[in-house]
Amino acid sequence: MAESTVLNLVLWLPVLGMLALALAPRITDRAVRGFTFGVMLLQLVLTAWLYARFDGAVPGLQFESKVSWIGDWGVNYHIGLDGLNVLLVALTAFLGPLVVAGAFSAITQGVKLFHSMVFFIQFAMLGTFLAQDLFLFYVFWEAMLIPMFLIIGIWGGERRIYATVKFVLYTAFGSILMLAAVIYLVWSQQQATGALSFAFADLGGHPLSLEAQSWLLGAFALSFAIKVPMVPLHTWLPDAHVEAPTAGSVILAGVLLKMGTYGFMKLGFPLFPDATRAFTPALLVLSVVSIVYGACLALVQSDIKKVIAYSSISHLGYVMLGLLSLDLIGIQGAIVQMVSHGLVAGGLFTMVGMIYERCHSRAIADYGGLAKLLPVYSVFFAILTLASIGLPTTSGFTGEFMALLGAFNAFWPQHVAGNSLPLAMAILAVSGVVLGALYMLWLAERLLFGPVKAPHQPFQDLVARERAILVAFVVAIFALGLFPREPLAKTELAARDYQQRVMSTRLPVEVAP
Amino acid sequence: MNWSLILTSMLPEHLLLVGMLAILGLEIKSGRSRDGFGFAVTFVAAAAVAALWLYATGFHGAPFLHHFSVDPASTLPKAVLLALAVPVLLISRDDFAETPYYTLVLASLYGACLVISSDSFLTLFLGIEIMSLPVYALVLLGLLREQSTEAALKYLVMGGVATATLLMGIAFIYGWSGSLGLASFAGALGSTDPLALAGVALITAALFLKAAVVPFHAWAPDAYEGASAPVTAYMATIIKAGVLLAALRLYGTVPVVAPVVGLIVVLPLVSMAWGNLAALRQVSFRRMIAYSSIAHAGYLFYALLGDGRGRWEAIVFYLVVYGLANVLAFAALPRGADDERHDRLDALKGLYHRRPFAAIMIAFAMLSLAGLPPLPGFAAKFLVFKNVLAAGYTWYAVAGLVASYLGLYFYLRVIQYMFMAEQQPEAARGAPRRMAVLASVLCLVPSVLIMLFPGWLIDRL
Repeated sequence: MAESTVLNLVLWLPVLGMLALALAPRITDRAVRGFTFGVMLLQLVLTAWLYARFDGAVPGLQFESKVSWIGDWGVNYHIGLDGLNVLLVALTAFLGPLVVAGAFSAITQGVKLFHSMVFFIQFAMLGTFLAQDLFLFYVFWEAMLIPMFLIIGIWGGERRIYATVKFVLYTAFGSILMLAAVIYLVWSQQQATGALSFAFADLGGHPLSLEAQSWLLGAFALSFAIKVPMVPLHTWLPDAHVEAPTAGSVILAGVLLKMGTYGFMKLGFPLFPDATRAFTPALLVLSVVSIVYGACLALVQSDIKKVIAYSSISHLGYVMLGLLSLDLIGIQGAIVQMVSHGLVAGGLFTMVGMIYERCHSRAIADYGGLAKLLPVYSVFFAILTLASIGLPTTSGFTGEFMALLGAFNAFWPQHVAGNSLPLAMAILAVSGVVLGALYMLWLAERLLFGPVKAPHQPFQDLVARERAILVAFVVAIFALGLFPREPLAKTELAARDYQQRVMSTRLPVEVAP
Repeated sequence: MNWSLILTSMLPEHLLLVGMLAILGLEIKSGRSRDGFGFAVTFVAAAAVAALWLYATGFHGAPFLHHFSVDPASTLPKAVLLALAVPVLLISRDDFAETPYYTLVLASLYGACLVISSDSFLTLFLGIEIMSLPVYALVLLGLLREQSTEAALKYLVMGGVATATLLMGIAFIYGWSGSLGLASFAGALGSTDPLALAGVALITAALFLKAAVVPFHAWAPDAYEGASAPVTAYMATIIKAGVLLAALRLYGTVPVVAPVVGLIVVLPLVSMAWGNLAALRQVSFRRMIAYSSIAHAGYLFYALLGDGRGRWEAIVFYLVVYGLANVLAFAALPRGADDERHDRLDALKGLYHRRPFAAIMIAFAMLSLAGLPPLPGFAAKFLVFKNVLAAGYTWYAVAGLVASYLGLYFYLRVIQYMFMAEQQPEAARGAPRRMAVLASVLCLVPSVLIMLFPGWLIDRL
């Protein structure tokens, strides 16, 4: 079987799953869960096989397939793996079965619809990562809203309607301006070359004035920055996270937030290099504000989920820092940090879900001394806490350290040359690491130690299913922390390509008088 | 007279006429009202097939020179319109057993066909009137409700104003050009003569009135609410499509230039924004659809900013997608007694738990109307704004997109009610009707196909 067929299968398996669920009228909830888990597991196996066969030494797309979709507009169904998306696709496939397994006991109402929506969002997320055509990308990008709207709105907490509507309206506003930019970009490309095409490869070529680039980058960046989210566009995130069911939070933190940074990396920055360089100072400041402000907000929360939600804002700031450093190590660090955050935040949200199922409270003040009450749970929680802080040997360390190292690498020469702002920002960003240790350790201390306290006692420690889920998270976190060479080798060429493209120029060549 | 040309080229129209006469004849023969459902569906479907056949064979012909012509650019919209009328008729099953409903619908469709093929102001005017007049009566056929009379009267008066405005505009254009041919309108578009421009403005205003574009929209919410569900579906899809196709016929492929651009930009833009905002406040499903249709009229007229070929493509594609979504929503809508209580949006609360498939279909329709990818409404909206931008109106396209964003929430709210709210205890619980299920399948299948393969349809436009 050709690899490209397998990649197509990976993408379309969720759709097949959804159709199967829709066509099976009478099926027990148990069967629905088992079936969904099985399909997700199959998807993971296939993705792992593709991941193993992905050759980091080959530039460009691998396992590519391209079929004309809307001939008149030059839109193709064009998907493929490259160094930028291979890790994120692997992450998405990895989280799939864990999300389903985590929801085994939490979702008891509307089980079939829930799993259909999990399939749907899995499809849309994979499609967004794999798409190599701007139209296709946009369709998948927006399609993510529909299942997320339902997942938060139907199975969420008290204020779920408010949270889900806020989430959709926020993200859709960014997208609508991005749509205008997409149309403009493609149209200007057609003016320049005469052929209508949405292919990523064709959109980077024609010259664009700095003004046009700035408007376009602004529109793309608004959409991506809302998804990341970057301060001050982050206010939807805490609401969405707190109200979402556990599965929704894991998907949101694990994959959905990476859409924003992936968008910057794949489209925003490389397509408009001159505008990116012109706006780097502003973007740097926003990233570092996100790191520090996110961490400060995490420090003062009284809700466990909110702490982790705000920590996401902080952690994704490092991704932006790494991407903006334009240093190879920094860029690779950004990619690793994306995956790492997906694993760590995904794991933490899963753990919050487990305790919530038992005690129906997420207030930090309701808990204490869980180490005595739930020893297994506490061990896992401690490991994930340390990974979130970025302790060496965990993936968090690899990502944040490389992103910061890259930033210093790149900004020191600029400081020597007289531009000290980037370096100052990098130094400030380091304080985020300290703050991160502070809020996470404090959270762990309040939950795990001190006098024993919990809303509903006594309760059961983790069952085998829950342990298995957490073991999977922990193994992945250590694997990425201890053996980052393999994933880094797979992304290196793509990171170099990104670096070159953002450093190049696409301003119109001025004709000599 | 070339009788065989008249026979073949006007086959869809003839079939409608025969259907109408057959229903009337039966009634006269039996001396009482008869259920014309079977005849109506058969003849409208046959007319749609006939139009499709004319399109497939690439038929060209002008049975009445300078008044009425048939070419693929008119047979395709005709086929679309007639095909959309079939599910509308299916929804009407059982509602209008003892009324002249089917005769009126067939007459109105006949008028729409005349509009689509018209070459002179004479046929255009005749077509628009034949299309609209039966609808005033159709609104009254709701009968069950007190508002129906008021709604029909309002609609009639506003329709009369539109007719007068249209005639005035035609008179101006005729005075300016000395010709009743539609080509003189296209000529007037580029002219600077105040008389010609006044004619263009009046005719366009009349079309705005018929299609319910702000500020000529006030009749629509009342008429939509007052009429019964199938008639509302008919007005929102077929009548709107007929008016837009008339506009397309008039504007042809001539690019709009200032000052007409102002007319085409401002009012449709306001219409999108206002329609979408006002829809937010509605508690009645049909009023909400009315405001939604006001916004959609805005998008459709906006498409006239595009260049000739793209304009045609965008409007016809949009009408197909919009029509399917609208009829789908009405077909899937559970119907109790057709009274005020069941028109409340509240009645949809918890629908997913009672009738999951109906809820999913309504959700599909709402998301398509909202233009959210991957649903077909997105491709339609994309096509409209792509053409506006390609014509050089970058900021108008951005403004239009932002105005369309305003509509997102009220469509989502319907989904929110159906999926996320508790059931209302007094909600209607009737079983779904067979014909309505058939109608929704007839709308859903093509919608899904267009969603998966939009290129197939676009290539054919």
